[in-house]
Amino acid sequence: MQKKIMTLAVGTALALATTGAFADDGGANTVRLGVYFVHFDANATDITGPYVPPGLNVHLNNVETLYLAYVRTLSTHFNAELAVGYPPLTKTEGRGPATLGSVRYNGQVISTARWLSPSLVINYVFGDENTRLRPYVGVGVNYTKFLARQSTAAGNAASGGPTSISLPSSVGPTATAGLAYELAEHWHLYASYSVARVNSKLTATTAGLVRTSNIHFWPNTLVVSAGYSF
Amino acid sequence: MLRNIGVLWVAAATLGLAACGGTNSPTGKVASSNQRGTLIDNPALRIASVNASDFAAQLKATASGPQLLQLAGTPACGVDFYYFKYWTVGPDNSAQMASGSLMVPTGSGTQCTGPRPIVLYAHGTTTDSAYNIANISDTTNSANSEAATIAAVFAAQGYIVVAPNYLGYDISTLGYHPYLNGSENAMVMIDALTAARAALLTTFTPNTSDNAKLYITGYSEGGYVAMATVKAMQAGGDPVTASAPASGPYALEAFGDAIFFGQVNIGSTIFGPLATTSYQHAYSNVYSQTSDVYSSTFASGIDTLLPSATPIGTLFQSGKLPQTSFFDSTTPTSSTGIGAVDAAADQLLAIPTSPPYSASQAALFDLGFGNPYLVNNTYRVAYVDDAVINGDEAEMTLIGGGTLNSGNVALAATSMIGLRKDLAMNDMRSGGWSPQEPMLMCGGDQDPTVYFQNAQIMAALWTPFVTGGLVSVLDLNGAPQAGSPFAPLQVALQQTEAQLIAAGGPSAVASFHATEAPFCLVAARGFFAVVP
Repeated sequence: MQKKIMTLAVGTALALATTGAFADDGGANTVRLGVYFVHFDANATDITGPYVPPGLNVHLNNVETLYLAYVRTLSTHFNAELAVGYPPLTKTEGRGPATLGSVRYNGQVISTARWLSPSLVINYVFGDENTRLRPYVGVGVNYTKFLARQSTAAGNAASGGPTSISLPSSVGPTATAGLAYELAEHWHLYASYSVARVNSKLTATTAGLVRTSNIHFWPNTLVVSAGYSF
Repeated sequence: MLRNIGVLWVAAATLGLAACGGTNSPTGKVASSNQRGTLIDNPALRIASVNASDFAAQLKATASGPQLLQLAGTPACGVDFYYFKYWTVGPDNSAQMASGSLMVPTGSGTQCTGPRPIVLYAHGTTTDSAYNIANISDTTNSANSEAATIAAVFAAQGYIVVAPNYLGYDISTLGYHPYLNGSENAMVMIDALTAARAALLTTFTPNTSDNAKLYITGYSEGGYVAMATVKAMQAGGDPVTASAPASGPYALEAFGDAIFFGQVNIGSTIFGPLATTSYQHAYSNVYSQTSDVYSSTFASGIDTLLPSATPIGTLFQSGKLPQTSFFDSTTPTSSTGIGAVDAAADQLLAIPTSPPYSASQAALFDLGFGNPYLVNNTYRVAYVDDAVINGDEAEMTLIGGGTLNSGNVALAATSMIGLRKDLAMNDMRSGGWSPQEPMLMCGGDQDPTVYFQNAQIMAALWTPFVTGGLVSVLDLNGAPQAGSPFAPLQVALQQTEAQLIAAGGPSAVASFHATEAPFCLVAARGFFAVVP
């Protein structure tokens, strides 16, 4: 299901790129390059499983990463945006008791992961082509896939041995609100705020024993970018 | 052109990002073989890790911890507690999964790292099917106290500890426990040692290793299993440095006879069903149906009752087992038609009185009689008749008031009762063996659960080895001898038991078997320290 959605999103973007364009601000196609500032508003259930004491939880650190997007202008007021960030390295810290026995837990980086999280958004743009500053709002779908999942030495110490991490992919809604400012005929500056819903189940396997936590992420993203239209 | 470049760019970017691989941390290996002694998950799981000061602090925070600390000493080392799973075999030679604990000393002290000796520990009787001596983190697990004791006495003082959970407990799917089956439990112990030695190679402390010194000990059922393991390892040519079986039912036939003669021990209503179920599975000769042995009140389902996930207190309260009434308080009579046999049997079937027993002994034995009762009268009479006709020499010597020696402690020549045959088969006097390495048998002559006669009978059998110093016996309730390294332990134990009696009255003696456990284990440690 998730592969089909991802395929559909990329296919849609590719199809849009080859159709006849509404000329807009120097062109119907825009590529944007900028920075994602991501704050994880994560809520996780306590880790459960064999030999897990109560009250063990996790916290995700904020990240910044490169923002890339392709925007196809559909009409005066609508565009379609396919955005993706360079997979940032996200560090997960333990939250709970300071130590487990004599092994430090709270505040220790227990795992890392990278995530690929493209979003396909349909934006409504206020104003018209002659307006220099145009606010916009959009809704769409986000797909998040977790890559390079690693348990750290601190994580292995807390888990009780070498640990493999599993985080299934997620599909969820996303919404955005932003401002586009025309610098020149082909150039724009953008600033936007987005939020997406990402759900996943953390599964950590150590010596054949499985521990889990359900994690609900709400990545709050501030994007600052520049775009070239053609 | 620009549109095509845009398409190519998006496609290239998507492909490039997708090339960020989904690698994961390496995890352990799962064994594909189910051969005896195979470690299933390698590395094993470390359940807990405490440094020396944290361990001391945690013990101090428990009810019995301060006394244990005083007895065992301040931890010199921290301890890493591992849980390992391994393959062994059941009584039918089928591959069986079992589990156990590996405790590894940690810290920078010279006695805490590098090549260290191993203590192979056998645990005592438990009815709790979830018993897991590795789960030190769960204070509600029934194994927690015993785990903390062996950690404090041995691991925190620099010994690597290997302690299996036995078949029938924790993850074992055997469905019952091969209770007091010596050769079977010895295999479980030996296989646990093999697996633990493999686990030791991949712990968080790679500098800590096996220095090839192996000490075997255990308490209660564990004392018996420890001795059976020594016997099996000697027979297999596997080296044992020294052993210290403690308070175990080594002379099983004599012990069983004593109980059926009315010297009912504390815990009999638990030990009886465990033993008959174990032997029925192994030898199919205890009964045709459970009502052959047990009264109609308790016969149904008694063969699948223990071990149980239900607490033993609940089993007592719900009427699944009587708490203490092993035999009928209405005395049955023997009717073999052989006058001498019937007379002797009737005397042995009677509820014990004082004299000939002491008042406190008689009071304890009498707890084993009541109604409803566990063992039916027909079976008890048949057993006693057989024990009179085919007497266990050691038990007959004791009943007659004689002194045990190497010439009067033989097993019965034969038996017509399946249970007695099984007890004889698993009696540590069988097989004509004796220890080849130093052995200390610790116990207490006031123990109301596993009588000290067990150690006395073995010591009598092995008189030359006792005389030669290879085998030692420590009676914690005996008079401390000046200059004996165990004298302080004896004094401390006797003071503790006196305090229990003062607080709880004569019935407090019922707890002596548990009370003596840590004292015997500390004695074992002292013994191991001086063995060449």
